[in-house]
Amino acid sequence: MELAHIWGILFISLHAMVPITLAAIGETIEESAGLFNIGLEGILLLGALAGAIGAEASGSATMGLMAGIATGGLIGLLFGVLSTTLRGSQLITGVGINMFALGFVALMLTLLGAPGFHSVPRAVQVPLIPLGIGNLSPMVLVTVFLAVVVWWVLRRTQLGLWIRAVGENPAAADVAGLRVNTLRLGTAIAAGMLAGLAGAYLSVDWFGAVTKEITAGRGFIALATVVFSGLNPLLALLGGFIFGLFEGLATWISTYPAIKKIIPWQFVAMAPYIITLLVVAGAIGRVRFPKGLGVPYLRE
Amino acid sequence: MSTLKPWIKRLNPLVESLMAGLIGLVIGALIMLAFGYNPIAAYISLFSGSFGSVYSWAESLANATPLILTAMTFAIAMRGGLFNIGAEGQLYIGALAAVAVSLIDLPFPLNAVAALGAAIVAGMLWSLPVALLKLTRGVHEVISTIMLNWIAHFFAFYLIANVLTDPKRGEKTISIIESARLARILPGTSLNYGLVIALIAVAAILFLLWRTSAGFEMRASGYNQEATHYAGISLRKQVLRVFLIGGAIAGLAGAVQVMGRPPTYAVMSGLPQLMNLGFDGIGVAMIGRNHPVGIVFAAIFFGGLMVGGRIMQFSPGVPLELVRVVEGVIIITLAIPELRRLFTFFLAKFKRGA
Amino acid sequence: MTDQMGISPPPTARSEILLEARGISKGFPGVWEHLILEHIDFDVRAGEVHTLLGENGAGKTVIANILSGYYGKTDGEILVKGQPVTLESPRDGLAHGIAMVHQELMLVPAFTVAENVMVGLNAPGLSFRKQAVEQQLDDLVAHYGLQVDPRVRVEDLSAGEQQRVEILKVLFHQPEVLLLDEPTSLLTPQEADQLFKVLRAMTDEGKGIVFISHKMHEVFAVSDRVTVLKLGKARGTMPISQTNEDDLTRKTFGETVPDYMERPAVEFTENAIEVDRLIPKGLEKKAPASGLSFALHKGEILGLAGVAGNGQSELIASITGLSGVSSGTVTILGEEMTNRTPRAFIEKGVAHIPERRREMGIIEQMFVAENVALKDYRKTPFSRHTILNREEITRHAEEIVSRFNALVPDLWETECRILSGGNIQRLILGRETWREPPVIIASHPTEGLDAKAIRHTWELFLALRAKGSAILLISEDLDEVMSLSDRIGVIFEGGIVGVVEGENANREQLGHWMAGGKISAAA
Repeated sequence: MELAHIWGILFISLHAMVPITLAAIGETIEESAGLFNIGLEGILLLGALAGAIGAEASGSATMGLMAGIATGGLIGLLFGVLSTTLRGSQLITGVGINMFALGFVALMLTLLGAPGFHSVPRAVQVPLIPLGIGNLSPMVLVTVFLAVVVWWVLRRTQLGLWIRAVGENPAAADVAGLRVNTLRLGTAIAAGMLAGLAGAYLSVDWFGAVTKEITAGRGFIALATVVFSGLNPLLALLGGFIFGLFEGLATWISTYPAIKKIIPWQFVAMAPYIITLLVVAGAIGRVRFPKGLGVPYLRE
Repeated sequence: MSTLKPWIKRLNPLVESLMAGLIGLVIGALIMLAFGYNPIAAYISLFSGSFGSVYSWAESLANATPLILTAMTFAIAMRGGLFNIGAEGQLYIGALAAVAVSLIDLPFPLNAVAALGAAIVAGMLWSLPVALLKLTRGVHEVISTIMLNWIAHFFAFYLIANVLTDPKRGEKTISIIESARLARILPGTSLNYGLVIALIAVAAILFLLWRTSAGFEMRASGYNQEATHYAGISLRKQVLRVFLIGGAIAGLAGAVQVMGRPPTYAVMSGLPQLMNLGFDGIGVAMIGRNHPVGIVFAAIFFGGLMVGGRIMQFSPGVPLELVRVVEGVIIITLAIPELRRLFTFFLAKFKRGA
Repeated sequence: MTDQMGISPPPTARSEILLEARGISKGFPGVWEHLILEHIDFDVRAGEVHTLLGENGAGKTVIANILSGYYGKTDGEILVKGQPVTLESPRDGLAHGIAMVHQELMLVPAFTVAENVMVGLNAPGLSFRKQAVEQQLDDLVAHYGLQVDPRVRVEDLSAGEQQRVEILKVLFHQPEVLLLDEPTSLLTPQEADQLFKVLRAMTDEGKGIVFISHKMHEVFAVSDRVTVLKLGKARGTMPISQTNEDDLTRKTFGETVPDYMERPAVEFTENAIEVDRLIPKGLEKKAPASGLSFALHKGEILGLAGVAGNGQSELIASITGLSGVSSGTVTILGEEMTNRTPRAFIEKGVAHIPERRREMGIIEQMFVAENVALKDYRKTPFSRHTILNREEITRHAEEIVSRFNALVPDLWETECRILSGGNIQRLILGRETWREPPVIIASHPTEGLDAKAIRHTWELFLALRAKGSAILLISEDLDEVMSLSDRIGVIFEGGIVGVVEGENANREQLGHWMAGGKISAAA
């Protein structure tokens, strides 16, 4: 393997890390507060669509990312209201969001003129930073920064303490005068915004296109990353990188004719999902989740 | 009064499902309005396309057939307190297992029975890791089922392209041999005896859940694990039961779809006739309130949407995907417990305000 | 040892009224006919302990919750130092110097003591005053002698220590009025005495304390004034010096239950349960190396007294199969059953009346008939070859419901969740005892029942005893244990510290054991 290949794999890994980690740290925030949103996949997908449309309409990649954040925040709000005030089932709401997103994005792609595929013009994509050994997306740096910020807020601030208290023992938080549902709603919106940003990154930055398969299970891999990280955003960074690395390796292998003959591409494509399963199976046991996770809070 | 009340209470789920369906259709209409379509024309086209003639009824029922089965996979898990969204992958594997039986030359009816049996076993095997990972490693079934769905997806691609490939046509698998195919109920339509198999499965699950001790145990564990353990019922056994039965039914769905649906009786590359049947089953189960009988009606509604959606696509040209948007909205709406009460609450507020 | 606490400081009639409730009512939203509190007048003065005394469900906790700002009220007025106030959240209460300690522990086990205190801070979201809070807590700990390390995780503390954390949590806000809802339920008598000393130190500083209890001896140990509450109505307020235990008991509970239930003398020979050197899972750190040993004979009622959290639930779990045994053996009716499944214990004839009725005893979403058959559905005639026989289940459920006087609208339409706690307990008693099982494990069987239902339950137990059932009665209520038991054992930190004949038992000796005292000291 030549050096250039190693750099190539590293860059793919870093770029593949971004959406998984962003979605995972968002999910970490809301799981800390007791919400379990399996609709991440759908939010990624809607974020990707919103990002592409936003970037093209405004002519600016930044606006595209903002559109993704706004869309994600909106879906987060919907999820939050359903699972707090209305005491809905979080799992079912999540499935509904995924289903809605799949239909809505496919519908919009059709209405945009090209069913199944819509490319984002080069001019409104996020410009990459040329490093000589390869081009790096600034979103990689943003992701690292956000992971550190979220870690700091959750572990080293009063707000983080409140969020975690609401997830661990909502009744105790309630008698301490915290507004459980409001806090949870806030984390749901924050999580939605991060997932929306992750989605917009897919279309406006990494792939430069929207398809209805663009997320390819990344929302669920992000859920797995949260398990792996044990609700630690810094470990989510590492987890995202590991999953990214396998994606990078798979991409690299699939371009190598010699290897292609031995391992069919379908098995290479399967690898990230098998790895995810194995990693999650290995991670559980040492991970401790908030006691109130997934359960709507109702004062006795 | 005292005899009427429980009946009204029993109708609540039906009312809620109708409400959710209505909300879904209204939001679908709003989206159509936003893009300049005439929703009334679209819905007329949709419902006349799905339930307007004997032919369209037959097509709707044919589309409902696999959905009845995948919905039951989800519903049984929900009854047992588990969230099984793995029907999608189990269905692919089941369909391919049924096709694989055609590699062997067997006489009728042995070949059909063997194909159905192979699909059931394959579905169970694909579901087994979910149960084992949950029991031994505590892996949440949402993560493991989704990962296994993706693995099944690519594994199916591999089987279609490399193992079960039709020697004459590379884009599909070999076809189910003619004698093993499920006969059509109505000539000239897709409706076949797969529907009968699905209805037998409905009756079996109905009986299992409410008339047997196994069903009693599964339902108990779904409601309250602590009390179930206290009553001397093994919780681990229920997890295995739920996933194995669910896998079996999803595998059967795949077999029925490939053995009964004309014209190819094969799995096409890209899985067009299988894709999303597992996920749509979740929506069907939700609208059917996880009850086998409710599921039959919900599946017919959904099957109708799929058939009518294609008609709607031609005139007035509303894309088929709208149907899935409506489905998503319906599911989200049904996530709200006591939807009906919420509705009456708002109604009362509205009246007071006016 | 409580005598010195009983000597109250001079009446505080002249001191300032810190907190006053005028005509407070509480009803369920929109349903005025059903008030759970009716026109309560109540006040607490600087430097006094004012006790709210009443049965379960009398409304004591509701008053405290309203006064602390946690609940809203339907009607009435709250005044702090004579000024009317509106309390919409516990934070409003704290702002007015009112703090409450809830009956259940309201702690985050994964947090440290200091972090638990910080949850209640009204501080900017991005600030983090952990170190300052820890230092302030050190000072508080020293000042009141409440020994707790603020830097330790709460889950590593004992129940008694966790209760101290709750007190620290409210003291941190330097309240003028403290509301304490049954704060001694997790404490040994000694720890309770310590708490009372702390309370005295607070009243000496001019704080007012509202103390909620249903235990008579505590009321006399700590109160200056007492208000009796019955069914949501105040039945009079009086200085503690102007009343006595008999008078208060009659006012509070109405009908009394007998001190000791007479029963025919039986010679106990055969063992029903033998527990030898048992250390249940989860008690490895706490239990003595010798574990826990006792024998329960056929036809005997063995009462097991002790402060909650001393291994009762773990013991019950290991003699019913609910959870595992770390070491030692459990023998039921001559067969070793250590680490067998719950099903095996049920088949062997071990009935279990659990403490947590709604959570463990029934499945709330299932119908009454299904709950009555919860343990029998798999046996003939209720099912054959795994197929349920609904007719038989219905017939059986009808019989249980009528024999145990449960008030149930319909067997196959009524989900158990809508039943009252008393009716649920009747169903559980029926389900567990109709076969006259050889072994019965009864945990807090009469908690929350009225006097008549308590008497019925006790008579049922004596009738079963007469038929040869062995009954293990686990209760924190010493009165119940003393009335019903042939022998009484006391459990402390996973071991039995003493056993005494039921007729010869006295409260003082049992209390000594409950605090971990040795047998020699008591004899």
